[in-house]
Amino acid sequence: MSERQMDSLETFVVDSVIASEQEFYRKIIEDNLASLKLAPAVGRIKVVLRPGDSLFQMVIILRDVGSKIKTVDIADVESKSFAKKIIISIKTEQYIPELLEKLWEFYGKANISQPDRLTVVISTDRSEEEAAFIREMMVADPRHRIHENLVDFAIRVTPEGFRVRYHLYKGNRFIFVASEEALKNEWIVEAEEMLEELTGAGEK
Amino acid sequence: MAVLSPYLYTGGVHKHGLLIELLEDLGGYLIQKVVTGTEVNLIMLIPKKDVPIVKKQSDKLLGIITEAPLTGVEIAIVSPTLASHHLPHSACDVAESLRSPGANTNMIGLARGMGRRVSLSMDYERKLINEHDIAVFTFGAFSDCIINKKPKLFEGIEIPIVVTGGPDLKTEEVPGADLYVGNIGRTSHRLRKADEVNALDKLSKEIGKIADDIRRQQSKDPLSVIPAKVMTEIENQIPEIHSALSPAPLTLQLDGIRVKLPYDEFHEKIEKLEFDEGVILSELANISRSKMKNYILIKIKSKSEVGFAI
Repeated sequence: MSERQMDSLETFVVDSVIASEQEFYRKIIEDNLASLKLAPAVGRIKVVLRPGDSLFQMVIILRDVGSKIKTVDIADVESKSFAKKIIISIKTEQYIPELLEKLWEFYGKANISQPDRLTVVISTDRSEEEAAFIREMMVADPRHRIHENLVDFAIRVTPEGFRVRYHLYKGNRFIFVASEEALKNEWIVEAEEMLEELTGAGEK
Repeated sequence: MAVLSPYLYTGGVHKHGLLIELLEDLGGYLIQKVVTGTEVNLIMLIPKKDVPIVKKQSDKLLGIITEAPLTGVEIAIVSPTLASHHLPHSACDVAESLRSPGANTNMIGLARGMGRRVSLSMDYERKLINEHDIAVFTFGAFSDCIINKKPKLFEGIEIPIVVTGGPDLKTEEVPGADLYVGNIGRTSHRLRKADEVNALDKLSKEIGKIADDIRRQQSKDPLSVIPAKVMTEIENQIPEIHSALSPAPLTLQLDGIRVKLPYDEFHEKIEKLEFDEGVILSELANISRSKMKNYILIKIKSKSEVGFAI
């Protein structure tokens, strides 16, 4: 299924016994996707609600969210060996907080100054070597951030009393089953079948 | 005794003292005064026949005066828990929509109210809810839960029960509820769409009717003293109430008043509160420790119980 790029939310199904309740729940899911900024990352999502069985099932197929980001991808790193300084000129504003956090950790806040928003200056004796290291340093991993948000999302949209949970996150697939009672194996199998069905949905 | 009608005045701070003076001269009561910046909100009880006089004064001050049918009503907004599933939307939206017609609302999150089979309420929580005039339970999106599972939370609640939820149900379908209002289910967004706002309006209107019913019942055997009068006397005789930092330090209820001062230090002073008629408050009311923090709860006895009314 990787030959074709998924659209975000190209499949969005909420299934429940009573139609009006479906709409309510769809809205809750939409709102939470939006507030966690997950909507662009989710390709297909299917949720099945069975209040009679106290059961909540959700399967998600994520879109390709890009690979790890290194400093060199978002900034120019220049070493000034004579002045014992490294100057980082940032091109992509989005990752400044992550970059600064990493740099603070390595060099200490005292050695880092930020004369303007897009420039970071580091004082160091070994500017050449350090500059090479910074260039290859991993700044952010979007996958990691998505995983965190996805778990948070699952907990937020599940009915609150459903505290028995099963989840599986593998590659770009996410399965989440929650209930108030002990989980039955067939519920998880059902969720896996739903995922298969969802995977097939784009390959017609 | 003069019949009092509840009104809300919204206007500028400038010269609003004139309105308060007029109200006192007419024998009305100022229930609450909230100053926000250059604006002031006054919730007051005005003698019914004098309402036009107050309106005239408010017009002079370029303020707006509106009826506030829920004045002097303390409402408990009960949410299954205080988790992000229910707050800030929709429970806070419900509370906010009830405050604008004059009610004082308290948000109560049950410790174990979530879920279907596992939901339950504790004795302490039930007693706390029963201290209020009306309880509003905010439930979720599933009719199966609202009809079959959640009503067990109503056990032991002796005050009128209002239920909100997502599906469009009839009041009779929800066992134990005195009123059900749909379209206010679990949401993660602020309730501001037309149908949602309509549902909130309907809720406050219907709760107003319940409050009126209680008042009508009360008028058959009136209270020995009206809560607003007790409130004024507390303000005059217990100066510490002016330095209490709690919101609405004196909260009116339909049959009593909550005094937000520590019980141990102040309950004797409250019991010995004197009225011009020569009686003290403990003859007219039961004064007890409130389940809410360490406050004082005054529940006023009826005329038939005391033998006279002032």
